[in-house]
Amino acid sequence: MDTENLISHARARFDHESAKRTLREKYQAKLIFAYAGGMWQAGPELINILTASLESGQQGLVLLDLYETPIMVDYKELLKLVRERWQEQLNAWLIEYETLNQNR
Amino acid sequence: MTTGALIFARNNEQIDYVAMAHWSAKNIERHLGIPTHIVTNDAPSTNTRHFTDVGTVTWHNHNRMDAYRLTPWERTLVLDADYVVASDQLKSVLEADQDFLAHKQAYDVTGSNNFQGLNTFGDNCMPMWWATVMMFRKSKQAELIFDSMQMIRDNWNHYRALYKNSKSTYRNDHALSIALGIANGHTLDHAGIPWQLASLTPEHRLTQLDPDSYRVDYINTENKPRWITLTQDFHAMGKQQLGEIVANTC
Repeated sequence: MDTENLISHARARFDHESAKRTLREKYQAKLIFAYAGGMWQAGPELINILTASLESGQQGLVLLDLYETPIMVDYKELLKLVRERWQEQLNAWLIEYETLNQNR
Repeated sequence: MTTGALIFARNNEQIDYVAMAHWSAKNIERHLGIPTHIVTNDAPSTNTRHFTDVGTVTWHNHNRMDAYRLTPWERTLVLDADYVVASDQLKSVLEADQDFLAHKQAYDVTGSNNFQGLNTFGDNCMPMWWATVMMFRKSKQAELIFDSMQMIRDNWNHYRALYKNSKSTYRNDHALSIALGIANGHTLDHAGIPWQLASLTPEHRLTQLDPDSYRVDYINTENKPRWITLTQDFHAMGKQQLGEIVANTC
């Protein structure tokens, strides 16, 4: 590979990674929502802890929100909200990501 | 709790900020379902500021700290006139159990500019908080932050020297950053809006596709033309282009 090709390849990679990072910023923001006075980000970690609480039949659950404030949540209600948001935003993210890859 | 938005807007030689604010108020009502008051009687200013798209203009931006005194609401969202509300994203900020929130980081939506220099200020690279979007509720903490901003503005040369800020023009972002430091015991530890402020710099071309989506044309590092669609809230730093969109919409 000559130098010009190498530079061109590096620039293309840079642009692609920048675009990916921008998409990540956009969708990470869209995964955030308020509930019970706290701020939450939908994601596997939150889904897992809520699912585990549901399976163990636990009564009441205190979680730390994004501001590290302990909040008593209705985990069934929160789990529904988190799953919905996660699916909705990840689907939209995938569509935009595939468009980005096609543009390459 | 009563909730509403405040937009500070005063026209200068090049930009019709008041029209921009009226346009934004409609978007705020549509997406967030809250009323907006537009503050237009800014204090007289002799400052100027240079923007790459409109050149050097009179900079009327000195009374943002009056938001606390002027707001008729218990919970207030203060927005720059050039902040485009294109989603209901800020609803979560309005529902958060916090006295004061603002953005700590901004990024370029095209990825072509590194905002590291814009996310700090002064020779010591102090973290900069953006006054573009501020949420506060009537509280001791919020009052202290706005009072501190006023003290900083009134003694700008002192604080500018203290923070080794080479820029002589007063900026609300800098005053807010210093005020948050004071109000939090200089711990640099203050709750912020938990996502970065999407920003669009003036060299990129902004056009509106439909009421809530915008096209951004830019040149990438390979010098090739590229475009992206924005369907989110963003800070339009290219005020002239946003002004054209507003003029064509109204």
